[in-house]
Amino acid sequence: MLKTGRMVTQSGLDLQQRAGYTVEAERLNFLRFISFFRAVHRGASFAGLRTTSVRKLLPESCGFLCPVRTPDGEPCGLLNHMTSTCRVTSYYDSQGNVRDFSKIRSSILSVLIGVGMMPSLPKLVKAGPPAALSILLDGRVVGAIPSSEVEKVVAHLRKLKVSAASVIPDDLEVGYVPLSMGGAYPGLYLFTSPPRFVRPVRNISLLPEESENIELIGPFEQVFMEISCPDGGNGGRSNDFSATHEEIHPTGMLSEVANLTPYSDHNQSPRNMYQCQMAKQTMGFSLQAIKHRADQKLYHLQTPQTPIVRTSTYTKYSIDEYPTGTNAIVAVLAYTGYDMEDAMILNKSSVDRGMCHGQIYQTETIDLADDGSRSDRSQRAFRRNRDNRSMHSVIDSVGLPYVGQLIHPGEPYCSIYDKTTNSWRSNSRKGSERDFVDYVAVDIKNSKNLLQKANIRFRHTRNPIIGDKFSSRHGQKGVCSQLWPDIDMPFSGVTGMRPDLIINPHAFPSRMTIAMLLESVAAKVPYMDATPFANSVKKANGEAGSESKSLVDEFGEMLKTCGFNYHGVGFFPLEQSTKSPGSQSKEESVVEVSVLEKWNEIPCLLMGQHDRLHTCSDYHVADVCSICGSMLTASFIQPQRRAVREIGGLPPARAPKKVTCHACQTSKGMETVAMPYVFRYLAAMNIKMTLQLSNGAEV
Amino acid sequence: MEGVSYQRFPRVKIRELKDDYAKFELGDTDASMANALRRVMIAEVPTIAIDLVEIEVNSSVLNDEFIAHRLGLIPLTSEKAMSMRFSRDCDACDGDGQCEYCSVEFHLRAKCMGDQTLDVTSKDLISSDHNVVPVDLADSYAYDSSDQQRGIIIVKLRRGQELRLRAIARKGIGKDHAKWSPAATVTFMYEPEIHINEDLMETLTLAERQAWVESSPTKVFDLDEATGQLKGCLLLQEVVVVDHEAYTYDEEVIKKAEAMGKPGLVEIYGKEDSFIFTVESTGAIKASQMVLNAIEVLKQKLDAVRLSEDTVEADDQFGELGAHMRGG
Repeated sequence: MLKTGRMVTQSGLDLQQRAGYTVEAERLNFLRFISFFRAVHRGASFAGLRTTSVRKLLPESCGFLCPVRTPDGEPCGLLNHMTSTCRVTSYYDSQGNVRDFSKIRSSILSVLIGVGMMPSLPKLVKAGPPAALSILLDGRVVGAIPSSEVEKVVAHLRKLKVSAASVIPDDLEVGYVPLSMGGAYPGLYLFTSPPRFVRPVRNISLLPEESENIELIGPFEQVFMEISCPDGGNGGRSNDFSATHEEIHPTGMLSEVANLTPYSDHNQSPRNMYQCQMAKQTMGFSLQAIKHRADQKLYHLQTPQTPIVRTSTYTKYSIDEYPTGTNAIVAVLAYTGYDMEDAMILNKSSVDRGMCHGQIYQTETIDLADDGSRSDRSQRAFRRNRDNRSMHSVIDSVGLPYVGQLIHPGEPYCSIYDKTTNSWRSNSRKGSERDFVDYVAVDIKNSKNLLQKANIRFRHTRNPIIGDKFSSRHGQKGVCSQLWPDIDMPFSGVTGMRPDLIINPHAFPSRMTIAMLLESVAAKVPYMDATPFANSVKKANGEAGSESKSLVDEFGEMLKTCGFNYHGVGFFPLEQSTKSPGSQSKEESVVEVSVLEKWNEIPCLLMGQHDRLHTCSDYHVADVCSICGSMLTASFIQPQRRAVREIGGLPPARAPKKVTCHACQTSKGMETVAMPYVFRYLAAMNIKMTLQLSNGAEV
Repeated sequence: MEGVSYQRFPRVKIRELKDDYAKFELGDTDASMANALRRVMIAEVPTIAIDLVEIEVNSSVLNDEFIAHRLGLIPLTSEKAMSMRFSRDCDACDGDGQCEYCSVEFHLRAKCMGDQTLDVTSKDLISSDHNVVPVDLADSYAYDSSDQQRGIIIVKLRRGQELRLRAIARKGIGKDHAKWSPAATVTFMYEPEIHINEDLMETLTLAERQAWVESSPTKVFDLDEATGQLKGCLLLQEVVVVDHEAYTYDEEVIKKAEAMGKPGLVEIYGKEDSFIFTVESTGAIKASQMVLNAIEVLKQKLDAVRLSEDTVEADDQFGELGAHMRGG
C-alpha cells in the first residue's frame, strides 16, 4: 500500500477511491519536492463529478489553502496547496513529546467553569438558545452559558490562548457561532484535537503589551471573525467594521511557490497559476547531496543564479540553496520571425559560455539476486571476460565500469558471469546519449562472498537545444526556436550589450503580465524587493508618507508623462475633435492583436510567406469599387432572364455577373480583388475601410 | 569594373588606446563597412583556446565536463594565432590536432594538502609554449595587485581533493564557439550631430533650461558659466553641448522639448558616414591588434571572392554572388 498507493481489498471498504493513497515525492526540483508536502487532494472521486461546487475556494479555506497554487485542468480546485503560513496541529508539542489531550481538555473545562459556564455533567441543565448557548468541546456538550456572557468568554479564551503562560493551548479553536436568523446553529464550539489547519493572525483587540499577540485561528472560527487585511481592501467590505484581528501580511494567503513570483499582485491571475505550475517543472538544484544520492533521474543546473528581483520569500525559505534558473538579458523584439507565437531565440554565444547548461544524472541499479530463479541466484557475479579484450578499456577487473569513463550508446558498462551456464552477459546503455560514469557503489550487505548489487550513476550534459522550453517567472513560457549567432543579434550602440534571448512583444498585450515588465525595469538596479502587496502594507501602517515611491508608482507616473492613460495611449482625448471618438470599438483592437502578429512580420519574410499567411489563412475574393474605395457598396445586378432565353436550345450560358457600386451608381470602377477576410470583418463593424487599388497590386 | 568608382578612403582617428580597450572613430565609410568590421572582430578573428581536455584525476566538487568547459573559456594570449594553423587543415599531424603547428599543450596538477581551501586558477596551467599562456589579469588596471589576485579560478579544492589534467589548446574562431572570440564587446554608434536652436533657447528661463539639460539621462548638455549673460537682473546661462558622444539616441531631450511646448528646440542627427567604435578585448590579443587582425581577415575574405572573379567555378563557389560579381 505504501509503495503503490493502491488499496487492495475485496469489499472496497466503502472508500471512494482505491488508488492514489500515496504519491511519490518527485525531486525534479526543490519546489516540486516541497509542494508534495503541502498538497491537499480532495479525493479522486470528485474528479469525475459533473458538479463543480467542490472545486470552489470557500470562505473558511481562505488563508489556509492557496488560491493560486492549484493546477488548471482536470484537478483544478481539487488538488490544493496549503498557504505558507498555514500549519497543521500536531499530536506532539514543540519538544516532541506526545501531548496529553485529556489534561488539556480538563484545564479548558476548569477555565470555562471559572468564567461562568454551567457544566452539564452532574445534572443536565435544560437551557438553549436564545437565552443560553451550549458549549461544545471537541464535539461533546460540556455545558451552557448565558448568551450575554459569551462574547466576554470568547475574548477571555482568546487572551489566554495568546499568552504563553496559560494552560490553554495556543492552537485551540474558539468557534463562536453567534445568534442569527437562518444562520448556523449558535453555540460555542471549541476544538483541541489534531490534525486541524491553523494559521497565525494578529489579535488587535488585545493590548499590545506583550509579544506580538499572534493568535492561531482555524477555518471554522475564521468565518465568524472580523479580520482586516492590510491590503487596503478589507476583503471587499465597504462599510466600516470593527476588526478584532488583522492579517500579518497579505502574502500569507499565498503558498510558498506562489510567493516566489515577483510583483504577482500586478499580474493577471491565471498567469500566476501557470507560473506555479511551471516553477515546479524547471531544471535547477533539486538536492544538495547529489554526490551521495542514487535517485532514478535527477536534473541539475550547472550555473544557477539567484534572481536579481526577489521577494522576501526567497530569503525566508532560503530558496537560494535550491536555485531554479539564471538571469538573462532579454530583448522584447519581433526580430526574425523565429520568435513568433511564443517561440524565443537564444544567443548562441551565451549558450556557448555556459548559460542554462545542465546535467542529467541517472542511476541504474543492478541486483543479481533480483532476477532469475532461486537456484542460480548465487551463481552469478560481476566479472570481466578475460578473453574479450575489447571490453577492457571500459570495464575493470571486477566487471564494473571505471568512474569517469565515457560510455557511448550501445557500449557495455558492466559484465556479468554466470557460473552454471558458463556464459557472459553485459549491460549497455539505452538511448542515444553519451554518458559518463559518475559513480559506482557496491552493496555487499546481503551476500556472503560475492558482489550481488551495484548502483551505477551516469551523467550526461543537457545543454539548451532547439525545442527546449524556457520560462520567465510570470507564466510566460516559450520554446527555443533558434540558437542565433551573437553577431546577428541586435546590439546597444553605447554599451555593446547583446541580448541572451529574444521574446516577442505579442506575448504581453493579451496576457497582461505587467509584473514581468516591472521585473525587467526593477532588475536594472542591483537589488529590489518585489514582494507583492508591499505598497498597500506600507499605507496601512501609516508610516509610508515620507518614504520613497515604490517602483510601481514610479513606473506608472513614467507612463503617464509619456501620454499613456488607463486605456492605453491617449487615443480618446485626442479623438474628440473628430466625429466618432468612442465608437471605434473594442473589437477592433481585439482583431488587431490577432492579425498584427502576422502582418508585422511580412516585411521580414519571403514572398513564399504570402501563401502561408494569406492564401491559406483567410483568403477571400471581394468586389471593390475603385472610385470610392468601398467594398460594402458593391451590389449584384441580376442579369435579365429573357436575354438568356433568346439563345434557345442551348443550355443557358453562365451570365457574366454584373456588379455595380451602390454609392457611385456605376459599375465602371468595379474590380475583383483578393484580400484577407478580416478586411470584410472590419468593414462590417462600422470601421470605414477604403481600399486604394492599383493595377499592379492585383493578385 | 568600369564606370564610376565608388571607392572611398576610410579614415580612422584613435581616441583612446589601452591594452584591452580601444575607442576610435571610423569615418568616410558606410554602415555596411562598420558592421562588417564589428562582426569580424567578434566572430572571425582567430584566437587560441583550450579545446580538448584529458582528465587524469578529478576528485573536486565539479564534474569533468564542467571543468573542461571552464578551461575552454579561459582567454589565452593569442598573438601567434594569426600565423598558426587550424588543426583541421594541419598536414603535419594528420588531423589529430596535436602537433606543434596547430596546438599548444597545457598541464595542470593541483592537490590540496592543507586545511585551507585551495583555489586552482589559470596560473596553475603550465603551458608548453611560453607565447601562449593564460591571460594575466594582475597586470591589468582593473585588478589590484595587492589583492593577491591569482588569475581566473577554475575550481576550489578542499583537503585531499586533487585535479590533474592535460589540455590541448587550438586555434579557432568565435563563430564556432564563443570561447574563441577575442572580443568582450565591440560596438559602434553613429556620431551624433546636435544643433540647438539658439533663438528658441533664448525664450527659455533659467529654470526651464536647467530642467531641459537634466532631462537627458547622460551628460550631453550643460549650462555654460562663462557665457552667462545678464538679462534684467537674472543671470541667464547658455546651454552648450559638452559631450555630444554621450548622447545615446534616447530622444529624451527631444521629448522634453515637446513637452515644454518648444518642438524643434534641438535637432539631432546621426552622421551617416562616421562611426564611433568601442572595442574591448578579453585579453587574448590587444584591442588594437584585434582591429588590425579583423581588417586582415576581412581582406582575406574579399580576396577569396576576387580570385575566382572571372572563372566559371566562381558560379559554383559563390552561387548567385559569383554571377553578381561578374556583372550579372
